Amino acid sequence: MKSKRLQLIPYLFILPNVVIFLVFVVVPALYGFALSFTRWDVISEPVFVGVGNYISIFTSSSFWETTQRTLVYVLTVVPLTYVVSLLLALLVDSNMRLRTLMRAFFYVPAMLSAVVIGVSWRWIFGDYFGIINYFIERYGGTPINWLTTPGWAMLVVILASVWARAGYYMVMFLAGLQGIPEVYYEAAKIDGASRWQQFWRITLPLLKPTSLVVLVLCSIESFKVFDLIVTLTTGGPGRATTFLVQDIYRWAFQRGDLGYASAMSVVLLLILGLLTVFQFRLTGIGGDAYE
Amino acid sequence: MRKRSAQLLVVLVLLLTVGSAALAQKKVLDFLWFTDGIEGEVLKQIIADYEELHPDIEINIIEVPFQNLRTRLQTMIAGGTPPDLARLVNVGDFAPALLDLTPYLGLEYIEDFVPSTHRNVVIDGKLMAVPMDVTANGIIYNKDYFAQAGVEVPQTPEEAWTWEEFIDKLQIVVANSPARFGLAYDFTFHRWLTLLYQAGGQLFTDDWKAIAINSPAGERAIEYFVELHDKNIIPRSIWLGGENPNTLFRAGLTAAHWCGNWMLTNYRDNIDNFEWGAMYMPYEARRSSVLGGKYIATFKDAKYPEEAVEFIKYFTSQEVNARFCRDSLFISPRLDNAQLDYEFGAEMFEIFSNELAVSPPVAGSDWAHPFAGRIGDDFREIIVEALQHELTPREAVEKMERVGNAILEEYMN
Amino acid sequence: MNRWVSRVLQAAGLVLAVIFVLPVIWVVISSFKPGTELFAWPPTFWPKSATVSNYIDALNKGNFERYFLNSLYVSTLSTILTLVINSMAGYAFAKFSFKGDRLIFYTFIATLMVPLQVIMVPIFLVIRRLGLYNSLWGIIIPPAATPTGVFLMRQYMITIPDEIIESARIDGASEWRIFWLIMLPLAKPVLTALTIFSFMWRWNDFLWPFIVISNEQKYTIQVAIANFVGQFYVDWNSLLAMSVLAMIPVLIIFLIFQRHFMKGIAITGLKM
Repeated sequence: MKSKRLQLIPYLFILPNVVIFLVFVVVPALYGFALSFTRWDVISEPVFVGVGNYISIFTSSSFWETTQRTLVYVLTVVPLTYVVSLLLALLVDSNMRLRTLMRAFFYVPAMLSAVVIGVSWRWIFGDYFGIINYFIERYGGTPINWLTTPGWAMLVVILASVWARAGYYMVMFLAGLQGIPEVYYEAAKIDGASRWQQFWRITLPLLKPTSLVVLVLCSIESFKVFDLIVTLTTGGPGRATTFLVQDIYRWAFQRGDLGYASAMSVVLLLILGLLTVFQFRLTGIGGDAYE
Repeated sequence: MRKRSAQLLVVLVLLLTVGSAALAQKKVLDFLWFTDGIEGEVLKQIIADYEELHPDIEINIIEVPFQNLRTRLQTMIAGGTPPDLARLVNVGDFAPALLDLTPYLGLEYIEDFVPSTHRNVVIDGKLMAVPMDVTANGIIYNKDYFAQAGVEVPQTPEEAWTWEEFIDKLQIVVANSPARFGLAYDFTFHRWLTLLYQAGGQLFTDDWKAIAINSPAGERAIEYFVELHDKNIIPRSIWLGGENPNTLFRAGLTAAHWCGNWMLTNYRDNIDNFEWGAMYMPYEARRSSVLGGKYIATFKDAKYPEEAVEFIKYFTSQEVNARFCRDSLFISPRLDNAQLDYEFGAEMFEIFSNELAVSPPVAGSDWAHPFAGRIGDDFREIIVEALQHELTPREAVEKMERVGNAILEEYMN
Repeated sequence: MNRWVSRVLQAAGLVLAVIFVLPVIWVVISSFKPGTELFAWPPTFWPKSATVSNYIDALNKGNFERYFLNSLYVSTLSTILTLVINSMAGYAFAKFSFKGDRLIFYTFIATLMVPLQVIMVPIFLVIRRLGLYNSLWGIIIPPAATPTGVFLMRQYMITIPDEIIESARIDGASEWRIFWLIMLPLAKPVLTALTIFSFMWRWNDFLWPFIVISNEQKYTIQVAIANFVGQFYVDWNSLLAMSVLAMIPVLIIFLIFQRHFMKGIAITGLKM
């Protein structure tokens, strides 16, 4: 029996956010969508090309190659990051000594700018200036060409990404863990449940909302990866670590066709949208408040 | 009475200051700039002098990193707020938005400048920009390493090495000095172009309508570049791993660096543990460098286009341009500034200027093509494929021709 | 728990923490190395001749006190705005069912999927139209409506029992009071997280300030640092020094607010 006034309330609460979104994100995005039907070098007038861009994209082997590479990257980074950040959160949430220090240390990489991440990881994995190769050589081995071999470069990029984001998602898990009442664990202990059982039966299920956030945000973020790659490998060797947003950026600002780049982003959005819907279904609580 | 007149005086003084402040409303010109060393400082001083001469003008420098220049300019133009002045590397790229300078400066204005810059700035018979400095590709080498290995670099242009000799000499240096590699080579298509010209080839046909790189010369240029990598003269980590060539040279890992005259200020300020200098580049079919340049222009929709043109005239005049180039260690594009009184590296400038002078016209005009920047990245990728042996040199130039012509076709209609 | 296992975990945790932070420590230490030593081979860990010249030079190259203050101003104001409007929206999505709620929520999430680089030009046009070009408000207001923030708040608030809200309503409390005096205190952990994140996001923003600001006086710290990367030459010394300095405020904010993640803060009792 909601009163008229009560019905208005939610709209008022979302109003500020919605207004800013509409003006600064939705409108430009719609404009971008409209642009996807044109060819535009930004300096002269846009030229209408209908679905020409989309046809080019779907017949472009390079686009699908890049999408495939991006998917490989995303489908490796997301589960890894999820597991690592959860483990870190559990580790730090316990009554361990020095946990405040550890918490800060784990979070530090998340605060860094892409430039710093790129520089520091090149120091570790660089072919000539890298510390790992230095030690390998010192102890008589042959150095590995970390950044000039496609397979290794992908691995380095994946590791750097997990390292850079784990602390961030760890913080989200920590907040989520705070929301689980202590009494559940106490009751379970009285019933004789082991730590392992407590984790599977209490912690994980009650973390579902947080898990959804982590999975969705991490997937979206990984799909949009850009700055980190540019500073770490510049997309190399060749195109081995070139992902979708780098290509989109290149088309927009170097090849000089913002229309084609917009079309690519629409396709990116569709792929990502599908992935997100899948994740909502997976954790099964997407519609919780509405069911 | 005295109080009254004192008050009156104060009011008068106030009125005068406010009045003169209102009268002295400054015109603020936005100058979009990217820097690569100390020329930013030199520019600031020149601007300070100009502002003294013109008290009603203020120039606001908007400095951006080079890789964001195009992006920034595009957003500004799209938003209807182009800068009043901009430092550009490719004029044709932005030609539709630039202000035609011919009515103000006259087409003859360009006569004072080196001929190979003309095609860069005169578009469809109109003067769209003015050159501010010229760059030349060239080789800087580690004198200590070469001395240690007992290898003497060519002392005169006639003594320049052939491509084959170049490989041999570098191998000797690497074998007899702490150098791990012979040559650091910048990861840009523009730098690779030097090899194309030295092999006698060219990028575009003379009428700029098609790609001309699919030739024996183009093939040879790629083949040589691959050879340099396969023989470990050039470390693979630059073109394949994003390694910074300056870093390699500065750290003494390579005996030389194929770059250009813009590195002089950087190396002068940052290398103090070994002697270095410039050396004549090798040749295959002919000697050549690559002409690059920076240009200053204004925009049709700028706030103060006329004031901007005045500044362009000032900045590119003989005296001011000489000062700018001399203090920044740049090569001047003005014919009457051919011999500048450089404080540092005069003998290196002689080498660069000589190499520019013997370069074929295409070494300047190719890169002036409005779409040169757009195909540059794609072509660089094709070279990388050749380095990885995924393409033979012949296949590489054929692919370049296909890809390049497709892009040209798309944009030229 | 088994004491031995606990000890092993403790040690492993510490080792892991040190490994995590090692690259950053290297960056910090390297910022004290003079230019030539930075690229020495073999690489050094500790500086052979430690110097603060990198910092002094970098600070002299630009108006860095100004840039710091700008970043501080922008990040703080934007964070406050974010906290208020994101929690309001999150609350609405979590505890109310209204027409269009799903559509709007999913649109929020969808906007996350659009890379900023692509809509840069249209955004610039909007900013210009609204007169926010070259204004610090242009980098405070628009980024404050973070979808991530709304998402986080919603997910967390879902777990707060409805009964608390219902009983407050029965007691005659106004909606605003319920939100401000009941929901927000209960959401302290996630609000803390969002504070830390929002400050960090705004502090590390590059693309957005790059688009909006053209007056050097209004540069934020990341825009200024980016200028150390030139066309052919990277000014590593200044870059490292300034990047280290730029890390400090974000770290401080984290250290201040992270206490609120500690187990046992007496929120959980209320949940029953």
